[in-house]
Amino acid sequence: MQGVGKGRVRRLVLMLATVFCGLSAVAEPSSDQFHVPVDYYKLPNGLRVVLSQDHTAPTVCVGVYYRIGFRIEPRDRTGFAHLFEHMMFQGSRNLGKMEFIKLVQANGGILNGSTRFDFTNYFEVVPSNKLETVLWAEADRMSGLAVNEENLKNQQGVVGNEVKVNVLNAPYGGFPWIDLPMAANSNWYNAHNFYGDLTDIEAAKLEEVKKFFDTYYAPNNAVLTIVGDFETADAKKLVEKYFGGIKSSQLPAVPDLTEPKQEKEKIVTKQDPLAPRPALAVGYHMPDRNTAEYYAMGLIEQMLIEGDDALMRKELVLKRGLTDSVDGGINLLGNMFNYQGPMLMAAEVRYDPTTKPETILEAMDTAIEPLRTKLVDPQMLDRARVKLRSSLYDTMGQFGGFGLMDLLASFALFDDDPARVNTLVGQFDKVTPELIQKTAQEYLRPGNRTVIELQPAPKAASSGAPAKNQ
Amino acid sequence: MKTITRNASWLVLVAGLIAVAPAHAQKQTPPEGGPAKAFAVPANETYTLGNGMKVTLVPYGIIPKVTVSAAIDAGSVNEGSDHVGVSGLTADLMKEGTQSLTSEQLADATAKMGSTLDVAANADQTIAQLDVLSEFGPQAVKLLADVLQHPRLPESELERLKNDALRQIAVRSSRPQTIAQMKFRKILYGDHPYGTVLPTEADIKKIALQDVKNYFDGNFGAQRTHLYVAGKFDVAAVKKAIAESFNGWGKGAPRVEKLASPKAQRVLDVTDRPGAPQSTLVVGLPVPPPTSPDAIPLGVTNALLGGSFNSRITANIREQKGYTYSPRSEISRRYHDAYWAESADVTTQYTGASLKEIFGEIERLKSEAPPATELKGIQNYISGLFIIQNSSRGALISQLQYVDFQGLGENYLKTYVAKVNAVTPADVQKMTGQYIKPDEMTIVVVGDKSKITDQLTPYQKGN
Repeated sequence: MQGVGKGRVRRLVLMLATVFCGLSAVAEPSSDQFHVPVDYYKLPNGLRVVLSQDHTAPTVCVGVYYRIGFRIEPRDRTGFAHLFEHMMFQGSRNLGKMEFIKLVQANGGILNGSTRFDFTNYFEVVPSNKLETVLWAEADRMSGLAVNEENLKNQQGVVGNEVKVNVLNAPYGGFPWIDLPMAANSNWYNAHNFYGDLTDIEAAKLEEVKKFFDTYYAPNNAVLTIVGDFETADAKKLVEKYFGGIKSSQLPAVPDLTEPKQEKEKIVTKQDPLAPRPALAVGYHMPDRNTAEYYAMGLIEQMLIEGDDALMRKELVLKRGLTDSVDGGINLLGNMFNYQGPMLMAAEVRYDPTTKPETILEAMDTAIEPLRTKLVDPQMLDRARVKLRSSLYDTMGQFGGFGLMDLLASFALFDDDPARVNTLVGQFDKVTPELIQKTAQEYLRPGNRTVIELQPAPKAASSGAPAKNQ
Repeated sequence: MKTITRNASWLVLVAGLIAVAPAHAQKQTPPEGGPAKAFAVPANETYTLGNGMKVTLVPYGIIPKVTVSAAIDAGSVNEGSDHVGVSGLTADLMKEGTQSLTSEQLADATAKMGSTLDVAANADQTIAQLDVLSEFGPQAVKLLADVLQHPRLPESELERLKNDALRQIAVRSSRPQTIAQMKFRKILYGDHPYGTVLPTEADIKKIALQDVKNYFDGNFGAQRTHLYVAGKFDVAAVKKAIAESFNGWGKGAPRVEKLASPKAQRVLDVTDRPGAPQSTLVVGLPVPPPTSPDAIPLGVTNALLGGSFNSRITANIREQKGYTYSPRSEISRRYHDAYWAESADVTTQYTGASLKEIFGEIERLKSEAPPATELKGIQNYISGLFIIQNSSRGALISQLQYVDFQGLGENYLKTYVAKVNAVTPADVQKMTGQYIKPDEMTIVVVGDKSKITDQLTPYQKGN
């Protein structure tokens, strides 16, 4: 429904936690050690279930996450995982076309779905008395699709229009959220156009939709998460009642998603006939998820890109006036927690034709270099920890429980440990100035980065095609 | 994250739905769930300082954060025709330090509290806010007070910010949706400030620091400001900080009303975008303002007609025809002013067909009252949405601020759901016929003229 991403890189809500260890003058240590209740178990059919109560508002957020993202869609069918996500709204055993949406909305709820690198999710926020209704409906579509050629043709039209509005008819369409992974990665799974070529989207067949469902949409490949106003015993009974009878399936082996270590800087140009100003993006390969360096990169991202005091903002915006903002983050289609595989930390600017791209890169390097050459200023590191904690709480409070649900589901799906949400604080707390420097030296190497230089082009010269190697 | 919320928020803002269709005999009926729980909008405390500044405090939730947000009645409506763009530039300059803090010190101070400083001007107001960890509530109040009362407005940063503004204007006005919006507003509002979505390059270039200072002095002050604090915070300490840091602020100049008189007229305006694979449409007309007794029934009508995923227009041109991805209708509001508009980016070859379906759905609703079950679904949806709209500190501030700014009264939120549910099918039919009149709609199209001119011929004039 909602697609895989949109336009300009958003200021990503970073959802890391850390304890503030008060070195700065203004800050006092927090008395709030915010703790999330987590109840985690598995049904015999393999469905992982996460429950987290919060009675603040009379609503519940329900999320079903399947461990199938666009990385591992079929090779000749780019964009298929996303097209398939749309099909999950087209009909199931007991709900015909549009009836799922009608059911949720007529019960006072909202819903959506999205396709990401390593999962596809479906979620609802409803008044808490409607929990049973939504669980029934999600179980119904986990049990089986009931879609036809007409539904598929309709959604191929809708998805085609989605790609047009977000990429083909959009200035900076696909920049850099599609362009960077394609340019920086070398393994096809990480490097293909995941929104999809229109010809691939149009070529999809109904039997492929059915096969995809049979392969990946099974309880043993999914996590069900419920956050909000419910009673645990009641919720467990309902989960058992509606999901307990769904059969598990034999899952295929996960392909090799690893990326070779990048040793040489890649510079790629893109002509964008719709863009009025040049733009530049950089992407650095991330350390493996959940390593010490990974947590250090979370703090580095805060220092470089996030907040009013970000080093890149100070250098490029305030000091040199090269641009009005530096946007970016870890995982442009999510956050540093909700993926499982190779990932980039990205930064992006729009600038003026009078400025050379080399100047932008040189200014970025000026902001980055001190992190690599000396121990970080403790006050700046403190501010990074505070920003992390603040954005973590924002995430948890986001959108009717959606943000917390997403964290819990990701940790269950990728780590089999949703209670990790309460341990992040300690992980970030362990990061030392020495580790920041060591991580910056290795991961902020120019050889570890990919640069995309976007140049406005005459209308006739090019289409909004993905970036090409120089 | 934002990628999710951006589209998800579409679903929140938009309303709608058709009731559940009767299940086929062999199909299971969805379980109804339990009885609805009572919901009341969280209580707030509102008071006025001696200088006229209003304060609203809303203790809410368990998440250890607090938002401190000031709404000042100073927007582009207050610029004057010789100084278009000065409201936005003033907002930008307000982030460049205070008399006691340099720009960099201010940046470090907000980061230390886990926040950014946001200052932004819209048509009617400037919103300045900090969103901090709970323990910094009182400090955030003091810092925001400093920004509002003692901004440095440094000459040294003016040229940089003007250049930034020029770049932002160029980038924004390259989007077909923005172009369509600019055209639509201009046709409806003419020379009124609501007719201007973005300043021109010439507007920005001629702004001098003195213009910023004049605008700031003439429009910022206690009596035009409402401060909202929502979230988890120490109420006594925050109140004390408010008294200490805002009591000394001058009243400032009183607010001047400048009501708009938008035109309802059939105009077909086409902007050429050669090679565009889609046509960007905005179709609409002025409707009664938020203060009208018809505003709520009209809102329900909009939700059913085009304002939600499952509304009639969306079901038609997206889910049946596949002409478009994200069509939506909305009632867009400014001070005692509103218009209704349907927006959609449609496949070029279906430009005319999309307009035909949009107008067809309007005519259908005008000629026949919707089934009661369909309307009930919409009413349930809006009622459920209302809980979500009052269940986070940011959403609560938005709701309260809207009610205060439009002067809807303290009963508005208390009676809103009852009023929504009192709307009848006949009311919806009547609202459609009375206000959503295709013949008086402005139609703006941004697309490939060579491919759409013929398709648009039937829409040159209303009947």
